[in-house]
Amino acid sequence: MFETLPELANVALQADGTTSGPAIEPSAAAALAVGLAAFGAGYAERGIGAAAVGAIAEDESLFVQGLILTVLPETLVILALVVIFLV
Amino acid sequence: MSATGSSNPEYVNARVRSRRGALFDDEDYRKFVRMGPAEIARFMEESTYEEEINALGARFSGVDLIEFALNRNLAKQFNDILDWANGRLYDLIARYLRKFDAWNVKTAIRGIYADTPREVVETDLIRAGEFDDRRTERLLEATTIEEVIDSLDGTIYGRPLREAYDDYEESGVLVPLENAVDRAFYENLLDGLVVDEATEQYREFLYAEIDFRNARNALRLARSGADIDPSEYYIPGGRLFSAAELSQLAQSPDELVTRIRDSVYGDRLSSALDELEQADSLIGFERALEAALLEYSGSLGHVFPLSVSPVISYILAKEREVENIRAIARGREAGLTEDEIEAELVIL
Repeated sequence: MFETLPELANVALQADGTTSGPAIEPSAAAALAVGLAAFGAGYAERGIGAAAVGAIAEDESLFVQGLILTVLPETLVILALVVIFLV
Repeated sequence: MSATGSSNPEYVNARVRSRRGALFDDEDYRKFVRMGPAEIARFMEESTYEEEINALGARFSGVDLIEFALNRNLAKQFNDILDWANGRLYDLIARYLRKFDAWNVKTAIRGIYADTPREVVETDLIRAGEFDDRRTERLLEATTIEEVIDSLDGTIYGRPLREAYDDYEESGVLVPLENAVDRAFYENLLDGLVVDEATEQYREFLYAEIDFRNARNALRLARSGADIDPSEYYIPGGRLFSAAELSQLAQSPDELVTRIRDSVYGDRLSSALDELEQADSLIGFERALEAALLEYSGSLGHVFPLSVSPVISYILAKEREVENIRAIARGREAGLTEDEIEAELVIL
């Protein structure tokens, strides 16, 4: 059985009739990267947002600071968008 | 809110830190010491105690007003924290706040023992623990100590109290009952605590609290000269003493201080321990121990900011504030001098 393996592999590799390419399309990979970055930003904002709302509940004058700190992780997504232009 | 779901330390800690910042500082205490009860009440009205002072102001005045407002505010603050907290955080906070249940049980028993009218007992309760209103109500309605014990069926205090009741009947003093309540609280403090990175500090603090409580009990026994075995008062779970060691250390306070200095608390507590050694009275010693615990809990909150430690450190600081103000108001009423009152305060 082991003797047939190389042949089997050749058949599998040439199945789509083209030479070997990347596992997924470049644009799909970029989309994945941006999506994961957005996920990270969301997770970071979860904690900061909870703390900010807590602080604002005690002292309303902290609203602006709370808002700024909450949206700071959003830069992660903006930086990840650069990937789109590299593709 | 409940013990289910995930916990939210970010939200709770942000609010708690803000409230901690609103506590009175040394400067305020220095002002308080020079004020009369009416002025203190007015000062409190302009702070976080506004609601309580206004609500109670029509019915009480002077030191009573201050004291009731303090108790009510304390209960409100701690109930707030329990309301905010979810999941595991709730469990960890509730575990510690049960000490007010223990306080309420002891107050109820003492009230019956001393034949105090129900209204007086009621004002001394601090409704910040886990008991709901119905159970507290039953606690208040009890007219004999046996009824108190019956009303506590199903709680952690029921069985230990029942066991201690025979001792009480034999000796006629409350010590066995109060001791049973304390031990039930401290034994449940560490029971089933899941320890990971976030609760490691919490456990350290609970160890410290038990250790300090043991040290204090040993000292009190040593000073009172009563012929009681200190190991009977020993609370298991701490790290510093075993029951046998404690009996031995109770004989000499100096050795006890050396023991604490050589322990894991030594580094953090060195300044407080110096005070301890200089303090010649038992009260000074106990006050220094409390200051040491307060300082220790404060430092724990900085090590792991997203744990339960900042909340615990706030609870301690708030309790201390309430006791400081009460001491000032009572001291002024009794006509103590400013220096005497300041000696009663624990200020960091």
